[in-house]
Amino acid sequence: MNGQYASLLIALPLISAFFVPLIKGLGRKAVMGYLVLITALQTAIAGWVANEVYSTGKPIIVMAGGWKPPVGINLYIGHFAALFVFIIAVISFFMAFFSFRAVTVEPVDKYAMLFLLLMLGATGMIATGDLFNLFVFMEITSITAYALTAYNKTGEAAEASMKYIVLGGIGSSFFLIGVALIYGATGTLNMAHLAQLAGAIDPTVAQVGLALIIFGLAVEAELFPLNAWAPDAYQAAPHPITVMFSAFVVKAGLYAIARLLYILQNANGWSGVLKLVIIMATLTVVVAEFSALRQKDVKRMIAYSSISQVGMIAFALALGTQAGVDAGVFHMVNHAIVKALLFLTVGYVGVALGGTTIENFQGLGKRMPLTALTLTIGSLAAVGIPLFNIFWSKVRILLAGVEAGYSWSVALILGASVVEAVYYLRLIHTIWFVEGGERVRENFAIGVIAIFLAALIIVIGVYPNDVWTIVQKAGQDIFNVANYIKNVPLMGVGA
Amino acid sequence: MLKRSLAIITLLIVGYWLAQGLAGVPFGEDKMLVGHYYLQHVKEQTGAVNAVTAIVVNYRGFDTLGEVTVLFIASTGVAALLWRKKRERTAKVEGSVVLTTGAELLFPFIVMFGAYIFIHGHLTPGGGFPGGATIATAFLLLYMAFTIYEIPHKAFEKVEGLAGMSYVLVGLIGLAIGGYFLFDWIWQTWHWGTDNIGRLFSGGFIPIIYTIIGIKVGTELSGIVDNMLKEEVRE
Repeated sequence: MNGQYASLLIALPLISAFFVPLIKGLGRKAVMGYLVLITALQTAIAGWVANEVYSTGKPIIVMAGGWKPPVGINLYIGHFAALFVFIIAVISFFMAFFSFRAVTVEPVDKYAMLFLLLMLGATGMIATGDLFNLFVFMEITSITAYALTAYNKTGEAAEASMKYIVLGGIGSSFFLIGVALIYGATGTLNMAHLAQLAGAIDPTVAQVGLALIIFGLAVEAELFPLNAWAPDAYQAAPHPITVMFSAFVVKAGLYAIARLLYILQNANGWSGVLKLVIIMATLTVVVAEFSALRQKDVKRMIAYSSISQVGMIAFALALGTQAGVDAGVFHMVNHAIVKALLFLTVGYVGVALGGTTIENFQGLGKRMPLTALTLTIGSLAAVGIPLFNIFWSKVRILLAGVEAGYSWSVALILGASVVEAVYYLRLIHTIWFVEGGERVRENFAIGVIAIFLAALIIVIGVYPNDVWTIVQKAGQDIFNVANYIKNVPLMGVGA
Repeated sequence: MLKRSLAIITLLIVGYWLAQGLAGVPFGEDKMLVGHYYLQHVKEQTGAVNAVTAIVVNYRGFDTLGEVTVLFIASTGVAALLWRKKRERTAKVEGSVVLTTGAELLFPFIVMFGAYIFIHGHLTPGGGFPGGATIATAFLLLYMAFTIYEIPHKAFEKVEGLAGMSYVLVGLIGLAIGGYFLFDWIWQTWHWGTDNIGRLFSGGFIPIIYTIIGIKVGTELSGIVDNMLKEEVRE
C-alpha cells in the first residue's frame, strides 16, 4: 500500500472532529461511542504504519501536496514516530472507554472534539519534519490542553488553566522568535535541510535561536522553571485527559526538544545548550520529587512524580550520546505505560468514591481489590523495583549518565529516587493496611484496561529485550542525523 | 520597587541577548533559499498570482489546515467553558434608530465585501482568514445594534463542521487522485484554467479552499461572539 496513506493519521482525527457537531443531537451515548470508534480506527492505521516502518526498516515520508521538501511540508514517520504514534492511538482508545464513566460534565460533544484534536496535535508534533509545522501542531496541542484543563468548570480548574495559558502563551512566542531567527539565518524551515545547513549558521544566532526554541518547548515538556502549571493542570483536568497529558502530550514536547537538539548538533555553541537542558532536567527531578513528598492529594502526588520522571527523560535525551538517547526513549515508553495505569486507577477511584484525597484510599485493598492491585503494581513499577519495566530504563539512564560524565547529576537523581520510594510506599501502606469503608462494584471495561497495562509492565519487566531492540531503533532515529537527512528526499533548492 | 527594578534589569539583559542574536541576521541581505523557488515557480505550478496565498494554501497547505484547526479549537473551547443549560442575551439598552437602521443597511455590504475578499484570494491581497473575519464583523455589528439579535447557532455550528470536513475532503480527494494528501488536483491533474492565469477562474483549488476557510472562519468568530455575549438565566 502507498506510504502516502499514512497522512490519514492526521486526516482521520481532523475530519472526525469536524463531524461531531452533526451528530451531537443523538445524545451522550452516541457521541462517546463515536469517540471509541474513531480512536479504534486511528489505532488500526497507526498499527499498519508501525508495522510498515518496522518491517521495511525505512521511514515513511509523507509529502503534503506532493511538493518535495524543503518547498513543501513533509511528515517523517521513522522508527520513533511510528512507535509513538501507535502508543498515542492506543492510549487514546483506552481513554475513550474511560471517558464513558469519568466525564459527566456537559457539553460532551465539545469534549469529544477536543479529545480528538489533542490526539491529533500530539501525533502531528511527533510526525512532522518541518520546524514551522511543529509550531502549528504544538499550538493545536496546547490550546486543546488549555480548554480541556478548564473543562470541569470549577474555580480550581479555571485557575489551573489560566496559569497554563499564560505560561504556554509566553513559551509559544519564545518558540516562534527562535524559529524566526533560525529561518533568518538559514532561509529554510525543513528539519533535514536545516541539519545540512546547521554548521554554517552564525554561532550567536544558533545559540540564541536554539535556546529560545528549547525554552518555548520546555513549557510543554514540563522542565523545571516553566512547569508550575503542570501539577495544578493535572489535578484539575478530567481524569482521562490527565492520562493523556502524562502519557503523550509531555512526550511530544520532550521529543521535539530532542529532535531539534540533534538536528542542529553541527551548529556552534551546541554543547552549551545541552548543558542548559541537563541542568534544567536535574533540577526538575529534584524539585518535583521533594514536592511530591508532602502532597495530601494522590492525583497531585502522582502528577509531581510524573514531572520528575519527565525530568529524567530530558536528562537522558540531552546527554548527547547514543546510549543516553536509547535509554531516554525506553523510559518514555515505560513511563507512558506506568503513568497511564496510575492515573487511570487513581482517576477511577476519584470517580467511584468522589475525590482523590488520601483518605479515600484507606482500605482500598478491600473496597476495590482489582483497582488497588493494579495501582500497587503501577506504584512499585514507578519506584523502579527489579522485575518491573521502569527498573531497566532507570538503570540504563543512570549508566549512560555516568558514562557521559555527569556523575553529579546522577547522584542527585538517585537521591531523589529514594524520596520517590518513600511516598509511593506510604500510598501502598494506606491502601492495604489501613481500615476503610464498604466494598464497591468495579467497572468491567476499566478493569480490563488496568489489568492489560499492569500485565504489560510485568512482561516488559521480565523480558525487557524485545522492547529494548525496538527502542534502540527508535533512539537511532533521533540520534543518527546523517541517516535522517539521507532519508528525506530534498530537492536541492539553492544548493 | 525592588521587584520592578529587578524585572527591568532582567528584561534589559534578555533584550541585549536577543539583539546579539538578531545582529547575526543582517537586515536587507539576500538570505532567501526556498523563497526564490516560490517566486520563480508560483505561476506555472499553482496558477495563483498572489504568491502568499499560493504558499499558504498550496505549498504549505498543511500549516493552514492546522491554523484552521486552531481556530476551531478556540471556538469549541469557548463554547465548552461557557456552556450553561439556559443562556440568553441580557442586554438592556437598545441602540438609537440611526444605529439600528445603519447596521441593517451596512450588513449586506460587509458580508458581500467579505465574500469578495475570500473569493479573490489568489488574485488580490487577503484570503480566507481576513474575509471570514470581515463577515464575522457584520454579525458583531448586528449584536451590538440590536439587543435581541441572535445568530442561528444550531445551523452555524453545522455549517462550521461541514466547512472543516470539506477542507479535509478536498485534501483526501487529492490523496485519491494525485497520490498525495492536499494535492492540487484541479490544477495539476485536470489543468483546469491553465490558460486563464490572473483571472477569476484559475488558481487550482486555492479559491475553493479559501471559500471554505472564509465560511468556516466567519461562522466560527460569530459563534465566539455569540457565546461571550450571552449570560446565564435562572427560571
